[in-house]
Amino acid sequence: MDYGEPLPSYEGIAAAFAKAKADKERDEAQGLRPATRDAAVVQKQGEVHFKAAHGLVIAFLTWILVLHALGIYLFTSGFMLTRLVLDEKSECALPPTDIGSTHTPGSPETGCWHPKSFEKAVVILIDALRYDFTVPFKSEDSEQPHHFHNALPVLYETAINNPSNAFLLPFIADPPTATMQRLKGLTTGTLPTFVDVGSNFAGADIGEDNVLAQLRNASRRIVHLGDDTWHALFPGYFEPNLTHAYDSFNVWDLHTVDNGVTDHIFPLLHPSNTSKWDVTIGHYLGVDHAGHRYGPDHPAMAAKLKQMDDTLRRIIGQIDDNTLLVVMGDHGMDSKGDHGGESDDEIQAALFMYSKRKFFGRSSPAFQTPPATAKERQVAQIDLVPTLSLLLGLPIPFNNLGAPIEEAFIGAAGDDYRNLATVNRLTAAQIHRYQHEYALARGLDGSTRVSSLSLWASANNVWNSLGKKSTQDQLKDAYSSYSAYQIETLKICRDLWARFDIPRMLSGVTILALSLVVLAVYARGIDGDRSELTPTLFAMASIGTTIGLLIGVGTTYAIPSLARDNTFAYCFAMGGIVGVGAAFWYIRRRISSPIPTSMWGWLSVIFTVALSAGFAANSFTIWEDEILLHFLVTFGVLTAISSLRQKAATDRILGTYHSILFVLLTRVASLSRLCREEQMPYCRATYYASATSSTSATWQLAIPYVVALLLPAFIRSYYDGTLSYQGSAVLWLGFALRFGLLLSAAYWTLDAADDGDWYPGYGEILKTTKIIIAQLTLAIALAFGYSTFAWSKPFLKIEDKSKKAKASKKEVIPEGNPSSITILGYANVHGSRYALLVTMWFLAIALVQKPMGAGAIAIACWQIFSLFEIIDTNKLSDTPIGPVVLGLLGSFHFFKTGHQHTLSSIQWESAFIALRTIKYPWTPILVVLNTFGAQILCAVAVPALVLWKQSPKKRGLLGDVAKAMGTHMLFYAVVNLATTMWAGHLRRHLMLYRIFCPRFMGGAVVLLIVDVVGIFMAVGGTRLSFLSIGEVFGWH
Amino acid sequence: MKIKDRALPEATNIYPTGFAQSYQHLHPFLVLALGSWYFNDIVANPIKGLSTALVWLAVLQIAYCVTCLPPYGTGKVVVEKKKPGEKEKKRSSQVATKIFTGLVALIMSLIVSLVVAATLVLFGAPMTTHHWETLLCAGHMSLLATLPLVYVRGVEGQTWQEAVALLLPVDDVYGGMIGTFVGAWLGAVPVPLDWDRAWQRWPVTIVTGAYVGYAIGKSIGATWGKGGKIVFV
Repeated sequence: MDYGEPLPSYEGIAAAFAKAKADKERDEAQGLRPATRDAAVVQKQGEVHFKAAHGLVIAFLTWILVLHALGIYLFTSGFMLTRLVLDEKSECALPPTDIGSTHTPGSPETGCWHPKSFEKAVVILIDALRYDFTVPFKSEDSEQPHHFHNALPVLYETAINNPSNAFLLPFIADPPTATMQRLKGLTTGTLPTFVDVGSNFAGADIGEDNVLAQLRNASRRIVHLGDDTWHALFPGYFEPNLTHAYDSFNVWDLHTVDNGVTDHIFPLLHPSNTSKWDVTIGHYLGVDHAGHRYGPDHPAMAAKLKQMDDTLRRIIGQIDDNTLLVVMGDHGMDSKGDHGGESDDEIQAALFMYSKRKFFGRSSPAFQTPPATAKERQVAQIDLVPTLSLLLGLPIPFNNLGAPIEEAFIGAAGDDYRNLATVNRLTAAQIHRYQHEYALARGLDGSTRVSSLSLWASANNVWNSLGKKSTQDQLKDAYSSYSAYQIETLKICRDLWARFDIPRMLSGVTILALSLVVLAVYARGIDGDRSELTPTLFAMASIGTTIGLLIGVGTTYAIPSLARDNTFAYCFAMGGIVGVGAAFWYIRRRISSPIPTSMWGWLSVIFTVALSAGFAANSFTIWEDEILLHFLVTFGVLTAISSLRQKAATDRILGTYHSILFVLLTRVASLSRLCREEQMPYCRATYYASATSSTSATWQLAIPYVVALLLPAFIRSYYDGTLSYQGSAVLWLGFALRFGLLLSAAYWTLDAADDGDWYPGYGEILKTTKIIIAQLTLAIALAFGYSTFAWSKPFLKIEDKSKKAKASKKEVIPEGNPSSITILGYANVHGSRYALLVTMWFLAIALVQKPMGAGAIAIACWQIFSLFEIIDTNKLSDTPIGPVVLGLLGSFHFFKTGHQHTLSSIQWESAFIALRTIKYPWTPILVVLNTFGAQILCAVAVPALVLWKQSPKKRGLLGDVAKAMGTHMLFYAVVNLATTMWAGHLRRHLMLYRIFCPRFMGGAVVLLIVDVVGIFMAVGGTRLSFLSIGEVFGWH
Repeated sequence: MKIKDRALPEATNIYPTGFAQSYQHLHPFLVLALGSWYFNDIVANPIKGLSTALVWLAVLQIAYCVTCLPPYGTGKVVVEKKKPGEKEKKRSSQVATKIFTGLVALIMSLIVSLVVAATLVLFGAPMTTHHWETLLCAGHMSLLATLPLVYVRGVEGQTWQEAVALLLPVDDVYGGMIGTFVGAWLGAVPVPLDWDRAWQRWPVTIVTGAYVGYAIGKSIGATWGKGGKIVFV
């Protein structure tokens, strides 16, 4: 690059400075005349010293990052047990074992693995049908019947009057008792876990094998009526002409869904229409809604149950001989009518099966009466899956863990143990096949399932010993052996997938809490320049970590039963923390309490702690965006007050102006909103064209152009104030940044043209062009940007005497050479040089945001520069408020760029902004830049807080940078620790999966990203800017 | 925008008469009583309730000013016995001044309430709806915070700048102002909670916070906070 004339002058100044310094030192030390060569040596020494100190700061902060990662890993592995979703599907022609009977497998007409019993099925799902709603009320003591008692007697009556035609049993749900999770269990036969890691992480639709997929595979026609959750899970599975789905979220409406189902189900049951479908699913919501709205003990519930009773009687009357009727609840409800948790009332639903044929039996005459309470003869909800599959002649879904229900296979006489043994053997064999594949896919050894494997072997022995004429007892034995295998496997899986590992969670939290203390002392409790002390701290941390690791290795040998990863991680972290603790003791004269002593320090603590404490309440978590707005405006108002108190007029005026600007910009940005479901109806989304679309409105396409036009000029004004708009800053801010922003605006216009098909036939050209434009923009931002940042000189300009009339305090006259030259841009040489990095990342992040988000992130960038001025004019660079406010600002603009802490708000399509197909590592980087762009931008800006308008001769600037970045990381670490603890503490909370767990995941991911960006991009970036300035002004 | 170098004003003293002295302690309770008296009306119908309460608050605040506070321009209260002969004459002319100053203060504080309303919007009050609720809320805050301040400090630009910069010495009036704003700030805390209570509607909690904050701030300002400076570092 061409810098014109000043270049030689710089070197002259650099040499002059260094020489003067060297002269002085030498004169003082020896009184000798200096040699010219020594200046270069001193300069070199300073540089080497800086590089070493800088490297150690990075190393120490990286060690903190590792502690964060270990803590999060341990907590997460104890908290979010994951289940791998296998994509394998059971096939009709491939039974898991030999059939052992005369039946020929492979034909859906006669039955795939087992002879088919029913041609058709009607499945009536009454949401929240608790078991005690269906059985007669038996008074114990003097208790009076409640409204929900005796209102739905039809199931009990039918089962007791015609036991061969029907049975009624308690139907136990696996928590969480939310409808979507239940539908997954009822169709796949698997246990719910928080994260089912599968091929499609984003969508809700079920990828793994299930009853509906098997039905569709066998070309059976499925009709669905009622709750539209089914359509999210099984898109395109249902007969489009006959299916009628209804919105499930309006819990105040008790009748629309039910009336819709009833209106459409009876025509289907009419003999003239039964040839049009094979399976009909009717999902009633009225009982559930009555529970949510009124609670179970209310006349409305009685009325609703009576209505259901009436409907069921009519259905039972109309069903034909070849149709199986299943009536069930997906979960129960608690005493207030809500559900989601795992209390008895919530998991105890009812299951009823009915056939016109004499088909069902009981293994004991005592079982003719349905159980009086849900505590007896329980059936697991997943048992429906093999039962229904075998009755309809389908293969059992691959991932099923349930068992066939005894009543459905024992025969009307109650003695067909051969059939019972056969179906249990088939089911157990499929479970065995699944477990084998799962262990292979997960790389598990046999140790976790030793007990189940031995049960499998013994059950097979019993089976093989059976002859053609086995006795009832031998068959019973085979049945119970396979059943024992299934029960044991289910237990193992439950242990593996559905339980929290509390010790792991606690060790994770311990590491996070102690590393927080270490970081707090490092960031706020060290007097003076912490870069001097970092070598000691890092050395002790390394020694401690090594010792810890050795102890960890020893412990795992001594006690092999301990989980190896847990022990290593824990010992690694604890050793290091003890080491740093010892180092803190060693340097205790330099340690003071990290508890703040100033108002601004307290304000930082209040912001951070209040926000973090709020995450314990679901409301404060839901409304985090508004809380951040409140805090940021509070900060702006307080700095406005503080600015008005400044003595110097320029500080007062500039400070007040930027404070007011900061407040106004915050409020303007707050107009960009993407609402989460829980915020309705108090939130109006503006991020996209409408609340139901995910494309931008046409007017929003103008936003990036406005940004391109104005923002570079605004940023320039922050450089103009100190005459720092010189050298490469002109090239970058004046040309490259604006050009890049224009390109990114063009990208979004092309994207809209492509999406909306504005120019039919040119779609492919548009697509190619926009991807090239996006890649070009990223190249400008990061490749060109970084080379400018790495190699440009400080933004200074030397002016000679003739222009000295304008001289002010922004210029400086070098000592010893008073008459000849002045330096423009001297007042902010560090800040202006470093802040270039902020604008580069801004360009990259602005590209990957939707048009509205580009506006928001531009406002964020503008606010960041205002914050620099506010901090400088109010002399706050030593307080924690700057880094904390940057944390608030990053979190705030996370929401303003169209995100929420929910999985569904991740804008996956941003992966394709600069790429056609998924390419690692670029795809995740693009999604991360889109999702956490605001936090990344603010983290990059942190060093500029302490560099803005600092004299190049100021000592300890590197320590200030470490202090600021430590404080910024501390903010996110507190938020992460709080959300982690709340998620762990509230692990039984109804809203865990919807609110607390997503917020915990958000907090953890943000902490790690901010750590990485803050350490390597921001603190790492200061190396380049410090070197560039050190070259000119020497090392101090 | 330029602050002249001058000594900052002193803390305001209350008239030394027995009635004024006792009334000043009674006043915060009267304000709280007013607030709780209208609370249910405000919850039921914020616009109607707040408008009615605003009128009574204005009466109450002017009564407090006239009874206890020296109006702007009359100099500070000198805690001295006056000569018996002068007393009668002085009072009649003073009453007119006081009422006039009180009315000016009322008008000024209503104008200031527009600024307060804008500030509420900046803090996150709804921008497109609930305009009357926000304005009335600002009116209440302004009558609590600025009416007595204008009454004793006048409308001089520099004094106001010092007032905003929190440079004035703490006294009854200034303590009340700070208390009002801090209280209103804290009043925003229960707004997002999902308790589905009627009193969570906008702006009931803010007004409640302002009233409670005023009463506490004024009492602190009148007692151990008196004459103190606000430290801001």
